[in-house]
Amino acid sequence: MNRIESAPLPVPRGRQAATTISLAATFLILVVFFAWRSPNFLTAINLVNLASTLAIVGIVAIGETLVLITGGVDISVGAVAALAGVVTSVLLLNYGWPSIWLCALAALIAGTIVGLTNGLLITRFKINPLIATLGAYSIARGLAFVLSGGQTNLLNDPGFQFLGRGAIAGIPFSLLLMLLLYALFWVVLNHTPFGRNLYAIGSNREAARLSGIRVNRHLLVVYAVTGLLSALGGLINVSQLASSAPRSAVGLEFTVIAAVVLGGTSLSGGKGSLVGTFIGVIILRILDNGLTLLNISSFWQDVARGTVLLLAVGFDQIRQRWSEREARRGQ
Amino acid sequence: MNKNLLKPAGVIVTLVALVCSAFFALPVSAQDDCPTAKDSYVIGFANLTEDIAFTQLVREGLIEAAEAAGNVELVLADNRLDGATALANTENFITQGVDGIIHFQTDAAFGNVIMSRARQANIPVIAIDIPMPGAVFFGADNYYAGELAGQALAEWVNENWDGQVDAVLMLELPQSGEIPAARMQGMLDAFQANVANPVPEELIFHLDSKNTQEEAFRVVSDTLPSIPDATRIVAMTINDGTGIGTIAAAEAAGRGDQIMVVGQNADPSGQEEMLKENSRYLGATAYFPENYGAKLIPTMIDILECRPVPPSVYVDHVFISADNICDYYPENWPEHCGEVTAEAQATEEAGS
Repeated sequence: MNRIESAPLPVPRGRQAATTISLAATFLILVVFFAWRSPNFLTAINLVNLASTLAIVGIVAIGETLVLITGGVDISVGAVAALAGVVTSVLLLNYGWPSIWLCALAALIAGTIVGLTNGLLITRFKINPLIATLGAYSIARGLAFVLSGGQTNLLNDPGFQFLGRGAIAGIPFSLLLMLLLYALFWVVLNHTPFGRNLYAIGSNREAARLSGIRVNRHLLVVYAVTGLLSALGGLINVSQLASSAPRSAVGLEFTVIAAVVLGGTSLSGGKGSLVGTFIGVIILRILDNGLTLLNISSFWQDVARGTVLLLAVGFDQIRQRWSEREARRGQ
Repeated sequence: MNKNLLKPAGVIVTLVALVCSAFFALPVSAQDDCPTAKDSYVIGFANLTEDIAFTQLVREGLIEAAEAAGNVELVLADNRLDGATALANTENFITQGVDGIIHFQTDAAFGNVIMSRARQANIPVIAIDIPMPGAVFFGADNYYAGELAGQALAEWVNENWDGQVDAVLMLELPQSGEIPAARMQGMLDAFQANVANPVPEELIFHLDSKNTQEEAFRVVSDTLPSIPDATRIVAMTINDGTGIGTIAAAEAAGRGDQIMVVGQNADPSGQEEMLKENSRYLGATAYFPENYGAKLIPTMIDILECRPVPPSVYVDHVFISADNICDYYPENWPEHCGEVTAEAQATEEAGS
């Protein structure tokens, strides 16, 4: 039982709050900088634009945060998003399903199945999460090409377009949906045994198992939810573009992982928060938007994005080591 | 022996030999002169990628043309948008003893190595769209293809917006080098040359589409707030997908009626977009990838049978719009083209 006692505990709330504050400071610095450099940055039209284009990365990042907290990783999210879009369009256009919403439901189920398969491969067959989800990435992307024949399909359903383009009282619907999901999963992560168990699994899986947590079941749920949320992100993408393409969401996994890590979630598990992820998503989006408004070359935008990511995560690491050293001295 | 007597005899013998060879031995002689000429050929075709509609059409056209030729067997491979894979495919073709190679590969840096291996094996190569040193070039006249779209857009602006434009969005692909750049330059040059009021440089936005709809959507969404007062916006895009993403961004921002877009390729999704009611996609320059094979296979046979072939063979380009789509792709849009034909007949009858 000594192993249980020696298991690392979830990250103290104080440290997580400090990470969130440093992120918020980064966010504010960026806002001030872009507002100073571009007169169009803080205009209503641009803020609506920012708000309506956060949801895809934001929603997929919720699932990725859960996965990273458990000490895993899911790089199939972009391919699952593409597959979801293709499934919707193919069922509607090629198979003549009567309602696009029925097709969308099938796409969500398909995404959940891919996530469940990831979970099964990782828990039952003990395959490394990186390898398992890499395989799933390849299969989902390949299936998207097979089903669509490599073609882009247009989807001109005004009702369905509301998902990605609609607004309620001037607030983009996709943003409202994203905020609702963040609230829901924040409660799950912070105020339920399930959420606390995820931190325990990520901190020390064996200790979590010995303390009675059903690790495999938790991981299955986490990967299934990530598949579901990836599919939902894919549907919002299709709705915004009014078309589906098998090559869509290429690189989404890297943007999502960057946002989650930027938000303070540890790649080694046991640490992270949805508030941090939310700010990470906003920071990356503001960076893209501001640099485009400043007419900076896309090559330099890539450099700037990488630099901000390294600086933010690097400073946070230095600050954490500093506070750990101080705490040890205090003891 | 009298040398003067031998001279006429020599001439006669030579003449007889020439006449005989003309009647009986010409094919053998041609084959002797052209060591690569054979009764049938094995040709290796390495496609750019099998992931996009354009290249799938190229492959299908080649298979059809090979079958039509009757003496060509195709060996297929996929370069997967990767130079190293293209080199590996070249080695495989050489091992399989192909007579000629048709390469559709993206990485200019690998062109030298690929051509060096092909030269060592005495195998002629045709390079599609991306030139390789020593290979016959086959492909698009990218600048001209761009010009067609730019000119059509300028004419539309002159007719509908009195030749006035508030902003120009160029949805480019800078990481892919000179070829897409030539298309974009052709579009912009022709637009500026033909529009009544050329647009000043500061109102031309060069945006990186990264060749995806999402990225086109994002960069256009992020650029529109910087031109809030612009109500007459034109966009020129590297292909249909980025054109569709551009229109989606304008529509999502509630500014769909303020933009007019032209693109390149005219693939089925682009054709569908231009046929929509009140479409903001004026049209796109077609490259007719389905016809590549009908030119590529005869060109390769010409090379293998030592007939003269120009160093560059260009495909035909036409600007496809809702007005002429039925002339080129009636089978894709039977309903629309049926209506167009009926309307034309009715007009003709009323006129007569």
